[in-house]
Amino acid sequence: MAQAVAVSETRERKAANSARGRRAVDRLATGALWAMALFVVLLLALFVCYMFYLGAGSISWHFLTGLPSELTAGGGVGPEIFNSFYILILTLLMTVPIALAAGIFLQEYSRTGLFRETVQFSAESLATVPSIVMGLFGLLVFVQTLRWGFSALAGAVTLTLLNLPALMRVTQEALAGVPATYREASMALGGTKWQTIVRAVLPSAVGPMTTGIVLISGRIFGETAALIYTAGTSVAHGNGAYDFNPFHTAETLAVHLWYTHSEALIPDVDRIGNGSALVLLVMVLIFNVVARVVGRQLTVRLTGKG
Amino acid sequence: MTNVRAAGKAHRTERLALIVLRGASGFFIVSIALLIGYLAVEGTKLFTVDHKSIFEFLFSPTFAPDQGHIGALAFILGSLFVTAFAIAVGGPFGVAVGVFFAELAPKRVASAMKPAIEVLVGIPSVVYGWLGLTLLVPLIRNTTGSTGFGLLAAGIVLSLMILPTVVSLSEDAMRVVPDSLREGSLALGATRWETIWRVLLPAASSGIGVAVILGIARAIGETLAIQLVLGNAPVIPAGLLSPASALTSEIVMDMGGAAQGSLLQHSLFSMAFLLLLIAMGLIVLVKLVARKAA
Repeated sequence: MAQAVAVSETRERKAANSARGRRAVDRLATGALWAMALFVVLLLALFVCYMFYLGAGSISWHFLTGLPSELTAGGGVGPEIFNSFYILILTLLMTVPIALAAGIFLQEYSRTGLFRETVQFSAESLATVPSIVMGLFGLLVFVQTLRWGFSALAGAVTLTLLNLPALMRVTQEALAGVPATYREASMALGGTKWQTIVRAVLPSAVGPMTTGIVLISGRIFGETAALIYTAGTSVAHGNGAYDFNPFHTAETLAVHLWYTHSEALIPDVDRIGNGSALVLLVMVLIFNVVARVVGRQLTVRLTGKG
Repeated sequence: MTNVRAAGKAHRTERLALIVLRGASGFFIVSIALLIGYLAVEGTKLFTVDHKSIFEFLFSPTFAPDQGHIGALAFILGSLFVTAFAIAVGGPFGVAVGVFFAELAPKRVASAMKPAIEVLVGIPSVVYGWLGLTLLVPLIRNTTGSTGFGLLAAGIVLSLMILPTVVSLSEDAMRVVPDSLREGSLALGATRWETIWRVLLPAASSGIGVAVILGIARAIGETLAIQLVLGNAPVIPAGLLSPASALTSEIVMDMGGAAQGSLLQHSLFSMAFLLLLIAMGLIVLVKLVARKAA
């Protein structure tokens, strides 16, 4: 009898111990997951501070607007910043309409079928093509076969191919977020499918789409590998190097950062590099903030809710 | 009468719209087909025009196209090593942070931390490379006495770069696990960690598999971030701390100086084609994993 009590007591103690052990493991794992997530955020904060520490000294009006120099110290990155924006705009002019149209087609018109499957698979494949490989394709087709040479246009078309899938996905997700009741109401009032999409569905999708477009713009702004052999590694001469001709070579800021380090002969590589890296980082931060703010405001204005 | 005309006009607009939308969708198919076609032609000239052996390309470590040697093994291994490193470090870490966002993070914490992950996606790869060059390489140099350039530096940079991809995809994978599984497990007395480890992770395994595969796809194609910190020696790396090369870094380094139609240019296009085949293979793998789940 006494023995039986003792046995059941040990059993209980064991169970209590293991429960305590399991709770300890649970707490430990919870702590570890929190620590890992915080570590990522701290790492990012460290990067941003470090880039400011490195690059702040390089930033001046002359650096941001001045012409680059090829052999001597003291060059600026004005034309490179201009080219980055110029190629970004050219790219968006091509990417947005195509991605929008394809996204509408896949989301609103064709929910099943071989064509849809093929388009979807093509988009997924395009999205995984490494950007340097896309750059070589641009070199073969636009620079060489079409004889555009190293040019802003060749770079922009290459970037269009690279970013179409992401933007199509953004469109699809934005459209998927519009309640079916909007479509039904418009159809019930006698709207055709196209009228329904343009007047009832798209306005509520504009907010999230804008967020997506601005985020992708940040990526286009900083793209490098796909541009080295399409838009080129030098800026056009003449016109003070702020050059709107899409057939002239157009080195962007991100390409400049890489190229000055790897190939160029100027003595103040570090100053140019640190400054360029900081400008790129600040632009990415700006694009991220703008994406959030504008997307939210547009949603409020066009749909009347937050 | 006007009603009929208006209806006719609406009908025409409808048809026109459909043609335009279908054309834009078709553009994706044409683009990827052209891309594969062009790279397949240029990427096989090494074997069809120059009559080099595909085995030499894949398995010989000697790369000196000006002397007729076109072995790309050093670059292939370099790419595989840095990718494996990135997945070994960034994979589990990314899944853990994804699990944190899906299961643990209070709403306010998540909405404060998510933008950080999005900024990490947006930072250009060349800026990661620059950070590696100015922060990581000197750090490794001072602690180990090596040059600082090599697989270790490239692997760390890449781990960080694939992190956002793995985080957001594994978070999505956790979120689609039905709540009934969570509730069932907790009701049986499991702790939260036991629920995550024994129930949710296995249930989300195919989604997490996809997250890791897409992380690999991102890592193997990454170019400038690793080119700046690899050291770019065209040899099979002797260890984590010795300089190495990858397929991507070799292409970006030497394409500019490659003469049209030269053995060097053809070799570089073959490497690009190989990268494309790997990327396509990974996409097919994603499809298979996703189908198995469904």
